Amino acid sequence: MHEVEIKMREAARTLLESGKVDLVLGFEQGSLPLRMRPCFARNAGATVGLVWNDFCANNLAAYLPGLFQKPADVRGSWTAPTVAVVAKRCDARSVIELIKENQIPRQNVVLIGMPCQGMVDPRKAQEAAGANVTACKMAPDKQVELTTAEGGVAMSPREAILADACLECATPAPQGADVEIPGPSRPSAANPYGRLSEFESLTARERWDAFVGEISKCIRCYACRQACPNCYCKTCFIEQSKPTWAGVGDELSDVLLFHIGRIFHQAGRCVGCDACVRACPKNIDLRLFTRKIVKDVQELFGYVPGMSLDEQPPLCTFKEDDNESFITHP
Amino acid sequence: MADISTTPDAAVAPDAPSAWEPRIVAFLCNWCSYAGADLAGVSRLQYPTNVRVIRVPCSGRVNPLYIVKALQLGVDGVLVSGCHPGDCHYISGNLVARRKFAVLKSFLHYLGIEEGRVHFSWVSASEGNRFADLIQKVSDDIRRLGPARQLRKEAK
Amino acid sequence: MHKKAMVVGAGVAGIQAAIDLADMGVETYLVETGPSIGGRMAQLDKTFPTNDCAMCILSPKLVEAGNHPYIHILSMSEVLSLDGAPPHMNATILKRPRYVDESKCTGCGLCMAKCPTKVPDPYNKGLCTTKAIRIPFPQAVPALPVMDASRCLFHLSGKCGMCKKVCPTGAIDFAQKEEILQVEVGAVILASGTKEFDARLKGEYGYGIFPNVMTSIEFERILSASGPTGGHVVRPSDKREPNRLAIVQCVGSRDTSAGNEHCSAICCMQASKDAIIAREHAAGLQTTIFYMDIRAYGKGFDRFVDRARNEHGTRFVCGRIASVESDPQTNDLTVHYITPEGALGAETFDMLVLSVGLQPSESSKEVARRVGVKLDASGFIAVDSTRPVQTNRPGVFACGSIAGPKDIPDSIMEASGAASAAAAVLGDCSVKEIKVEYPPEKDLRGQPPRVGVFVCRCGINIAATVDVPGVVAYSATLPRVKHAEEMMFSCAQDSQKAIRAAIEEHGLNRVVVAACTPRTHEPLFQKTLQAAGLNPYMFEFANIREHCSWVHQKEPQKATLKAKDLVRNAVTKVILAEPLYRKTLGVNKNALIIGGGLAGMTAALDLASQGLGVFVLEKGDALGGNLLHVKRTLDGQETAGKLADLIKAVNDHPNITVHLNARIQNIAGYIGNFKTTLDVPPAQIEHGVVIVATGAQEYEPTEYLAGQDGRVVTQRRLEEMLHAMDTAGLAKLNTVAMIQCVGSRDTQHNYCSRVCCSQAIKNAILLKQLSPRTNVYVLYRDIRSYGLRERYYRQARELGVIFVRFEADAKPTVEKIHGELVLRVYDSILGATLEMRPDLLVLSTGIVANADNRSLSQLLKVPLEGDGFFLEAHVKLRPVDFATDGIFVCGLAHYPKDISETITQARAAAGRAATVLSKATIEAEGKVSAVRAERCSGCGACVAVCAYRAIELDPERHLAVVNEALCKGCGACAATCRACAIDLGGFRDEQILSALMAL
Repeated sequence: MHEVEIKMREAARTLLESGKVDLVLGFEQGSLPLRMRPCFARNAGATVGLVWNDFCANNLAAYLPGLFQKPADVRGSWTAPTVAVVAKRCDARSVIELIKENQIPRQNVVLIGMPCQGMVDPRKAQEAAGANVTACKMAPDKQVELTTAEGGVAMSPREAILADACLECATPAPQGADVEIPGPSRPSAANPYGRLSEFESLTARERWDAFVGEISKCIRCYACRQACPNCYCKTCFIEQSKPTWAGVGDELSDVLLFHIGRIFHQAGRCVGCDACVRACPKNIDLRLFTRKIVKDVQELFGYVPGMSLDEQPPLCTFKEDDNESFITHP
Repeated sequence: MADISTTPDAAVAPDAPSAWEPRIVAFLCNWCSYAGADLAGVSRLQYPTNVRVIRVPCSGRVNPLYIVKALQLGVDGVLVSGCHPGDCHYISGNLVARRKFAVLKSFLHYLGIEEGRVHFSWVSASEGNRFADLIQKVSDDIRRLGPARQLRKEAK
Repeated sequence: MHKKAMVVGAGVAGIQAAIDLADMGVETYLVETGPSIGGRMAQLDKTFPTNDCAMCILSPKLVEAGNHPYIHILSMSEVLSLDGAPPHMNATILKRPRYVDESKCTGCGLCMAKCPTKVPDPYNKGLCTTKAIRIPFPQAVPALPVMDASRCLFHLSGKCGMCKKVCPTGAIDFAQKEEILQVEVGAVILASGTKEFDARLKGEYGYGIFPNVMTSIEFERILSASGPTGGHVVRPSDKREPNRLAIVQCVGSRDTSAGNEHCSAICCMQASKDAIIAREHAAGLQTTIFYMDIRAYGKGFDRFVDRARNEHGTRFVCGRIASVESDPQTNDLTVHYITPEGALGAETFDMLVLSVGLQPSESSKEVARRVGVKLDASGFIAVDSTRPVQTNRPGVFACGSIAGPKDIPDSIMEASGAASAAAAVLGDCSVKEIKVEYPPEKDLRGQPPRVGVFVCRCGINIAATVDVPGVVAYSATLPRVKHAEEMMFSCAQDSQKAIRAAIEEHGLNRVVVAACTPRTHEPLFQKTLQAAGLNPYMFEFANIREHCSWVHQKEPQKATLKAKDLVRNAVTKVILAEPLYRKTLGVNKNALIIGGGLAGMTAALDLASQGLGVFVLEKGDALGGNLLHVKRTLDGQETAGKLADLIKAVNDHPNITVHLNARIQNIAGYIGNFKTTLDVPPAQIEHGVVIVATGAQEYEPTEYLAGQDGRVVTQRRLEEMLHAMDTAGLAKLNTVAMIQCVGSRDTQHNYCSRVCCSQAIKNAILLKQLSPRTNVYVLYRDIRSYGLRERYYRQARELGVIFVRFEADAKPTVEKIHGELVLRVYDSILGATLEMRPDLLVLSTGIVANADNRSLSQLLKVPLEGDGFFLEAHVKLRPVDFATDGIFVCGLAHYPKDISETITQARAAAGRAATVLSKATIEAEGKVSAVRAERCSGCGACVAVCAYRAIELDPERHLAVVNEALCKGCGACAATCRACAIDLGGFRDEQILSALMAL
């Protein structure tokens, strides 16, 4: 892991020094335990702050589109920066989709492809330790050592505290990056849609109750949306007027409408990074629903987001012989 | 804007079990399905009275949010019908729509919206019979399911 | 005189010709003997090879012709005579009585409902009944009834008169008489089509005797969802679904004993289509098609036949039927046929469909005689292959099957081509401005909505079921409604006046009419709004007839509730209506034609002769294209002189600029306003339309020792040899063999190159004529001498050319043995392998698409089909248009075709282009998309889903921009945009949501 970090810093430094990029977007140590925060390194010196560890879960693609928009206070000509981004494959796949959606100019982005062994889910760590965890470090035999706020130490298998997104990741290894950092990655998950079949086997009533049970926790803070790299709309449909798609209050029906709409808008775009899940302060199990859209798009149209720059986004195209088993015939 | 959200004909209380009649909205494309509905009329084919048609230029005009929104607004069932694949007046509007509807229908089903609340179909301008049969089927399905309450926004 | 024309016959060809002329500003009389327009296409269920619903695609054209201000439909009419010379001709027209006053009738249909006399329904080929007074079919234009005086009780006995009693508008007029009309016209297009062969004349098939034998057009009605059986495939005798269906080809075609030498050109595809559709209706149906040659010569046809065979289990049996017997008990039919091997076969079927051919109708022949136009030996209008669509009489043109049997797209191409030719005759005449003057539009800004609701009784059509006064009273209680009124017939003239008066009196600024279907009646009410100074889009229709009273006749209370809901919905939507305007755009009067071959030059001359400017781009260093290699036409005319004349005419024409060795670097802009960058001076040209006429290439063979032995040549080379060699040289050729389908109909090129059979026949005939002793063999899979080309196939056989059929999986082989070419082929008819030693082996090589079509398609943003040819907007009804407005295609770039067809399509492209270029401005749609910049992130989803390329991303502002000139108003963009940043005028999100809320 440390070796990977060093190589990543080297790569970042080289890119900045050579003038190939104006900025490296990566991770740095923040004030919260088990969470790294984004780092905007604008010169070679700043690259010493870049880190790579088990807590670099954030999808940095979400920060990219803003970097290529001319700031409101700039008058006259403005040149978009060239940005290198430290990217797990999921982040890189988000970048690919954002390039296709014209939110990122391809020529202005350099992907530093990171090998990935999965990121720690702080909530799982906390559960494993039974207390607030302040530190977590690798131990032998694929174990991790969790230090709690009270000073206690708990051991857990590393696998047990990894994020679901990582456990179900079909694309952990970097591919197609501009700069690839060598290192070991997790194997691809055998079943990227692990929990879906169980949920699908429930009755409609049970599924609806489960869905409503999750969504009724929502306080409409929109953190899921803010964290999602795909949610870059200037005004989300849920906050529009003329027409008003939903009321502004906490009425459940409106909250359901928001989540159904937002998740539907992810069709063909969601890479399953779980930025929404991490951001949710109420621990809503959004993954249970976002995965369905991803799976359907793959099964119906053979499309996996972020795999190629050439494939047309699936809801913007069609084939003559697309599946139409859902059509009602009298 | 004028207050138009109340239903002046609320004399038939929507949920009174004895008098309950399903309310179904049908988004019909102008060129095929609406014309098929016209032909059903010209042919005097009789079908249930529960359907209210919203004419759209093309099934491709139907934003999937309309369907969710319709359920929220208290509709018991939704039908979207366009030209058969290949017949689209706008070349490929129905084919682009087909992808959206495939995903939406599967997703709503997954979330637990009852099967049969939301229907997608194709009816051509010469299929008056098919239109009448379709309305009969959709109406039967929804009558069997009873009122849609899952997404309904209760009137304040 | 201003530009005026007459089109005789209102089938799909006549309608297209009339619409094209009208769009060029030519006032056009569309003369039709029947009571309504539409012709045979209106009776078809589906159309090959896409299986489009015929009525779905035709009825918008019917409505367009019916509403076009420059088209006058003269139904029940026939031409008696035509005098004068173009552009000053006088037509005398006989208008027969309809017994219905067209100015009074509202088409309510009450007369039809009450008429006591049932008669066989001609629209459904007599398979069911209709009434003695009837609207011919539901989508008929004009939507007026016609009275069959030969069956009407009042006409026969003076009793009854029920229709007159019930007619609410007094439109029935038993005393109506024939009228004679005189119209002045500049040009005439004959398009009165053909009739079907009378199958009774082929007694051996038992049509008219055995109940389960029917014709292909009757079967179309059986297949149609709107037909007598509602689309259920059942046999007449016992209404049972058949399991075994036989379709017999060439009934009355390719049959001199039946009086028809010609091939009817459409039946092979129609039969394949019927086999596919019938199986979709009746699962498990086994269809057998008895044929002589499968003539799948058009775009996508061979693949379609493959589908019928491979995916729908259709069996194709080569053989001719000797006789048919019917079992008197079961009414099953036993078909005796002659197998390819010459043996007799017999098989039993439940039902037999006869593919009846097309032949000139007596009335078409009579019209031709009256206007002084010559017919050919078969009775079709005689047309020179190098001057298609032109008849012997100047100013009189012909299109569609009256000039030889052909399918719909070929008819449409001829129609547009004839329109172009007619327009050229009218070149110097002025254009009559037909414009209704409306008062200036009231400014509604800041004014609260004031809605008027007009509820139609439609006689009793609505009022018998729906409580109309109740709906009116309810409407008056709705918010913003300031006036509600009941009308007997809202579409009647006096009702329009009443609506205008109410708008004035009550200060209405929005109108709802609750009546019938907007699909036919919306334009009428929109005009009324305009006449009252309102924007035509401040209008909504509530369909309480087709969607309510007629379909809920037994539930008047519920129907009334529904009618109220529909009115409430319409009111809600109209409250949110905003004035919409059709954007007008200037039109650059020049055309860019890409390609200087026969197609490009023909189109150029047509446009130039209408006073329009033309740029012709040719990538080579000379004009002429593939025609440089063709020496004569199928009908024996030398081409070299004609080509030289054509090149000279193009080079000499003051309106045409030719750029040789020119390539396009970029094309920007849109209909009316293109800018093209060239790699030759002048670097940039501006133009209003583009015609793609880039041609195609000959397939370069590598099989059959091509390129390895000098005696193996292509047809093109043979043609040059025949042209150059003297008779003595030819006489030395003992044996010449030709192999068909080289580079066609194989896995790499799964399409028919269309021209090679005729080319082989042409060269075989010439060879036989020059050197009768030479043995000429043609090795073929199917001889596709479609339409009138059949006569040359026959001529070739009469001259002794020997035709040998082989199967696709047993292609001939060629070897060189002791210096001799040894050709072996398994003759599937003789059932034996033949061996011959030809002195010359001629390969009938196919036509392949140009490799650079791909880059041109990207420059133009128009699509290619799988084989690399350009893909038109609609294979049936828009054969020369692209989906993108202002770009057209013709010639081999579209698909292989012969000289005559190329000229026709080139003229069609010119005609279509002229509909754009002849206008000072073009009007866009009113209901178009608009972007809300503050919401748009420029993601491009709308750009991707727009089938018309009407949306582009502005790279500077990083948002989508709609080109209103190209937008057709489908709304796919609006439904795709996640941010709801693009919306469709007239169907805005806000309007649809409010309609949902008001449900």
